This record gives sequence, structure tokens and C-alpha cells, in this order.
Amino acid sequence: MVQAALNALGGIQRFVKSGDDVIIKPNISFTDYSFEYATFTNPEVVGALTALCVGAGAGRVRVMDLPVSQNCEEEYARSGIADAVVAAGGQMEVMSSGNFEETAIPEGWDITSWPVYRDVLDADVLIDVPIAKDHTLGRLTLGMKNLMGVIQDRGEFHFNLGQRLADLSSLVRPTLTVVDAVRILMDHGPTGGSLDDVKLANTIIASRDIVAADAYAATLFGLTGADVPAIVAGAEMGLGTMDLSSIQVEEISV
Amino acid sequence: MGAKPDEALKRPNGWRRLRQAVQILALLLFLYLLLGAHEGDTAFLPRDLFFRLDPLAGLSTMLASRRWVASMALGAITLLLALAVGRAWCGWICPLGTLVGWIPGRRPPPNSSDMPSYWRQGKYLLLFTILLAALLGSLTLLILDPITLVFQTTASVVLPGLASKIADLDQSLYDVEPLQPAVERFDAFIQDSPLTEQSFFLPSLLVALPIVVILALNAVRPHFWCRYLCPLGGFLGLVSKVAQIRYQVDEAKCTSCERCVSVCPTGAIDPDENFAANASECTTCLDCLDACPEKAIAFRGQWGLVPKVPQDPSRRRFLVSAGAAVVGAALLWAFPFVNKAEAQLVRPPGASEEELLSACIRCGECVNVCPTDAIQSSYSFAGADGLWTPMLVPRLGYCDYSCNSCGQACPTGAISKLTLEEKRRTVVGIARIDRERCIPYAEGLNCIVCEEMCPVPKKAIRVDEQEVEGPNGDTTVVFLPVVVEDQCIGCGICEYRCPVNGESAIRVFPVS
Repeated sequence: MVQAALNALGGIQRFVKSGDDVIIKPNISFTDYSFEYATFTNPEVVGALTALCVGAGAGRVRVMDLPVSQNCEEEYARSGIADAVVAAGGQMEVMSSGNFEETAIPEGWDITSWPVYRDVLDADVLIDVPIAKDHTLGRLTLGMKNLMGVIQDRGEFHFNLGQRLADLSSLVRPTLTVVDAVRILMDHGPTGGSLDDVKLANTIIASRDIVAADAYAATLFGLTGADVPAIVAGAEMGLGTMDLSSIQVEEISV
Repeated sequence: MGAKPDEALKRPNGWRRLRQAVQILALLLFLYLLLGAHEGDTAFLPRDLFFRLDPLAGLSTMLASRRWVASMALGAITLLLALAVGRAWCGWICPLGTLVGWIPGRRPPPNSSDMPSYWRQGKYLLLFTILLAALLGSLTLLILDPITLVFQTTASVVLPGLASKIADLDQSLYDVEPLQPAVERFDAFIQDSPLTEQSFFLPSLLVALPIVVILALNAVRPHFWCRYLCPLGGFLGLVSKVAQIRYQVDEAKCTSCERCVSVCPTGAIDPDENFAANASECTTCLDCLDACPEKAIAFRGQWGLVPKVPQDPSRRRFLVSAGAAVVGAALLWAFPFVNKAEAQLVRPPGASEEELLSACIRCGECVNVCPTDAIQSSYSFAGADGLWTPMLVPRLGYCDYSCNSCGQACPTGAISKLTLEEKRRTVVGIARIDRERCIPYAEGLNCIVCEEMCPVPKKAIRVDEQEVEGPNGDTTVVFLPVVVEDQCIGCGICEYRCPVNGESAIRVFPVS
């Protein structure tokens, strides 16, 4: 499914060149349950993406996330993502707290700088791979919210969350956003815990436009981009469009 | 006239070297089990091995909880060891004995008499008081058990203190740019070790007080603790009265040079009794074997009871000890030194208040093993009855939704072994919001990190929406958190994550 989505965009080769330093950023937080509970990115999706990047001749493919617990190794292992990545020829990286640097956000409307993981900004290719979930404050957590995995001082970040997520996206600007909507968490997110709240949507959304990807993902919840503060903020800043009628949306069945 | 001690040491020291090697190995094993338990892996050995071998802790637990505790039955091995070779545990294995032996002690000048012999009663007095208190249901005096002392002090004070000081140093050095690569390499090196940053619970500092005092008492007499106070030493000392292999002196060979007296760490050899040794005081250290130039001393099997020597307590003294023990235990029972209304603490999941007081041996295994530093020693917060029992301090660490390690680590079952599913359903407390300080309530700004973090599947915090008018006249929707009481298990992640400075705006309280 991942391959089909990327092929529709012209194939992985359009994004990953030979020798590129690739970072894949899934959601590897809240691994208290198995992947059926839709609280973190599906390991098969991460594995498939890793394999595609390796196949395109990437110099190295690193997969990382700094979970809320700050315990990378345990969550990487428990989620099954570490196994999937290594099997696909990639490597997991433990994000060390020393590698976060206060970085200027010149286009930010609310925040002008924030501590961001250095490597993420230096990499040739950044692929943002969120899992689509319900979130009370942010309404939904999708591509833009997933970028919080590469910053510190997350408590304070919540104070004007929608605008700040847009500001962060203006800095980080992932090459590609691939939303894991194979299973989505409809309620009680982001921690989840009840299979009653999981909907099998069997969808993968891929786009260069993080705002558009998130806006499309919102429709799977019966919402639109206008319901999600981060999407509204991102559109207003011109980071992308949330008007799905104005862009080419290809829906492919696999 | 006695020989100078250093002359005695120029003699052969093969036994002493052997004993010191065994002591170091035992101490290393103790530390390996402690550090290994911290990281979750102690190979094939039970991490609470030393506690299982401790007959004082074992007997006390069985008395106080009025049941057979199989996991503590290994203490019988130590008793059998004492039956065979006297207080060899004290001289060769006990980690506190090893530490006490490393601190130089003040030897009495020659020709002065030793401490009055009734001081030796102290260890029996403590022993009886502990056992009597246990009979009455209290294990609080186990804070004077030597294994508890070393383990709890290391787990609650030394390790977290060291780790947090290293973290501070790490931070300061990282600010110096040229040192950054070295600091990062150091961080990577200690990443999987117990030295990674741990929260330090300040009241725990006083947990170290007894050991510091014990080591300082060496200034009065060498091995003061082992001679006059150690209740486990007292227990093993009583058994040693019928020890099979014991000190013997050949009076024909003895020249009264007194070298044995000057090297004996516990002053067990009495020059006024033809250099006979008191079996209850001798820790089988074998230094006298090395020291005697005439080879007059031997440790051999002798069947039957040891003949009485004057240091033995007389019947009258024994009754005084027993009486004092009764008074001590009764005082403890009558005056818990706590305001019962304030005494309620948030306890680890699987630990009821009654179970803790009667089965917790204050070992500190749970404090050591907790991966989030949520469990801390309660020091004196639970009153005299509950000294050093474990409590949750959510502001330092939350009770992880996927962890049930404390119950697995508890040697006596004071914290029950819960499955993960059982632990996830166990209520240890309830969260309450201080609306005067909670940001959405107090300032009309959005936050609800508490709701976001709540791990319970149906969320124990819900949000009410409220429209708030901003300074420009525009209205925003503010989410106000409300605790759903019948869902909250008191894990404390809300209290831990609350971004308010100082005391959290949402706190876990014990359920009444």
C-alpha cells in the first residue's frame, strides 16, 4: 500500500536520491499496547518505507522518535518498529538529549526559536510518518503534531498548540508526509487503550504538502481541515493548502 | 604487657588475606545484585539473595505476618552456618561487617579494661525487641537489620545521589564547548547503567544517618556495631553458643604475649580467662590464627555446648534484657509518633497499608527496581510504625502503565506480585485538581497535558469546554480538565507532567 501511494507521486526516486541521508520519523510513543490499538505508527508501514528508501540507494536510512517517556530503546523494541526497520536494512537511532539545539524559526508567527534535534535539520530527506489519532487539545494528531517528536520543552509547546505546530512545520518542512491511516484512533487519544476506539480505515496518505495530507486525513474522522487548529494555522501561513478541491487527490485501491 | 599490633601483622597473614578476598567478593556480589536489579537483570541469581539469607528478616516477617514465607526460608542456611562455624557470616560475608571493618577503629590503650561486659547485651536487647515488635505486628525496627541498612542506604541515597550529582556535573561541563564531544561519549557510555539521571528525594538523605553513625562509632571501639548493637550478630551469636567448630587455645603453648587480643576485631579473647574466646563474640575472622607466634590457637570441632565464660550473660542480665525488650516493644506499639490523619501515603500498587506494616522488611528492593523513580523510601512520613516503607512520589516519577516490577522485586510479598492487567486496574490514589493554580482554570489558557497523558483506556480526565473572552474581544474555547473519579487509578502521570512550576496543579491523594 505504501509503495502504491508513493508511486502515485512519481515513485520514491523523486524524493530519495542515491547516497542521501534519510531520516524517517514515525510515532513511537505510547507503546503500552500492540499496534492494533493504533497508538503508534504501524511497524509494517515503517518497514515498507525503510525498504523503499534503501532500495532507492539512500546512503543511510535512520528511523527515530523521542517518545514522551524519553525511553527510546524500550519503545523502539516494544512497538516492533526496531525489528521491522533492521529487517528492511535501516537503523534505529536513539535520540540523545544533548543533540537538541535552540534553533531560530524565522517564519514563526508565535514562536521565534525552539530546541530542535540537530540531525533532523541536517538530513537530506525527512519523511514524517504519523499515525492518525484523536487528540483533545489539537483535535487530531497527524503529520504536523508528529513533528513534536523532534523538539524539547514540549510542556510549554502546548500553550498555543495549533499556531506553534504550524511554526514548527515552517522550520522542519519534511520532504514527504506519509500518514498511517491503516488503523486510526477515533477517541481517547493520544494514549488510546480500547479497541472500541479503533477504526480500520486501511488507508495510506502520501503528500509533499503536510497541510493537505493532514486535511485529507481529517476526512477519515468525519471532520475537515477547518476542525483542526494546526491545519488552519498552517494554511493561513501558506505552508500548504487545506482545500482538497484545489489539489489533485488520487485515491487508489490496492 | 602486650605486643604492639603492627608486630603481630608482620606475622603470616594468609587467613586474613583469604578472608579479605572473600569479603570483597561478597560485597561485589551484593553490589552486582543491587545494580543488576536496577537495570532489570541479575543473571541466574535472585536479586534479593542477601535478604533471603538473612534469618532475622525472615523470622521477623513470619512472626509479624503470621504465615510461612517460603521466599525467606533460606535464612536457615545462615543459621546452619552459625551452628557449624559460629559468626562466620559476620566476619566473612556481611556487607555491613565488611564496611565496618574498613573504617579504622580506636583500640583501647594497653592496661585499660574493655567496655563493661554488659554492653555486649545491647545486641540481644535489640534482637529481642525486634522479635517482640514483630510478634506484635510491627517490622519497623528492621531498619536496624544490617542487610537492610546497606541496601536501603545504597538504593535510596547513594545511587540516586551519585547519579544526580553526575547529571549536574554533566550539565555544567556540557556548557563548555570544547568538552562537548567528551561529555557526549561519557553519556553514551553510562546510558545503560544505573548512573543515568535519577530524581533525588531529599527526605531520603536521612536514611543514610544510621549507617553514618554506625561507622562513626568505630571511634569508640573497633567494630562497635558488631560487638554491642547488631541484632543479626546477636541472633547468630546465640546460635554460636553451640557452634561445632570454634576457637581453642592450647594453654601449654601460650606465652601470654597478647598478640591475639590486640588483633581480635571484636575483643572476643579474654586475657583474664587464659585467652579463651567467647563463641558469641568471635566472628571467626581467623586473624588470631595468623597472629599467634606459638601456633597455640586452633579452630576445631568440639562436640557439645561451649563451657561458660564470664562474658556470657548471667540469668539476671538475660531477664533484664528481656524485660527491656518488652518495654521497648510496648512503647513502640503505644506511641507510633505520627498523626494518623496525616499518615496516609500513596503506596505502590499491590501494597495495602496493613500488609506493608507487617510484611515490609524495609529492604529498598522496590525503590531500587522502580524504573521511573516513583517509589521512594517514606523515611518517617508513615510514622514510627512505618519507617522506611515505600511510597509513591508522583512529582518525582509516575507509576508506569506497563510496569509491574515492584511486586516482582519484593522479597516478602508485602507488595503483591500483580500481573500487568491486575496492576492496571489497581487503584492506589485519586487525582485532584487545584483550580487556583491549574492554567485553564486560573488563566483561561489551554493546556490539558494531564488529560493527554492519562493512560487509562477511557481516560480518567475529561474536558469541559468554556468560552473565554480574550483581550481583543475575540472568544477562544478553553478546555477545563475534570477528573473522572471512578476511572482514576492514581498513577500520577498527570501530576508528573503538569507544567505548572513548583507543586503540581493536579495531585494524587490516597484513597480514604
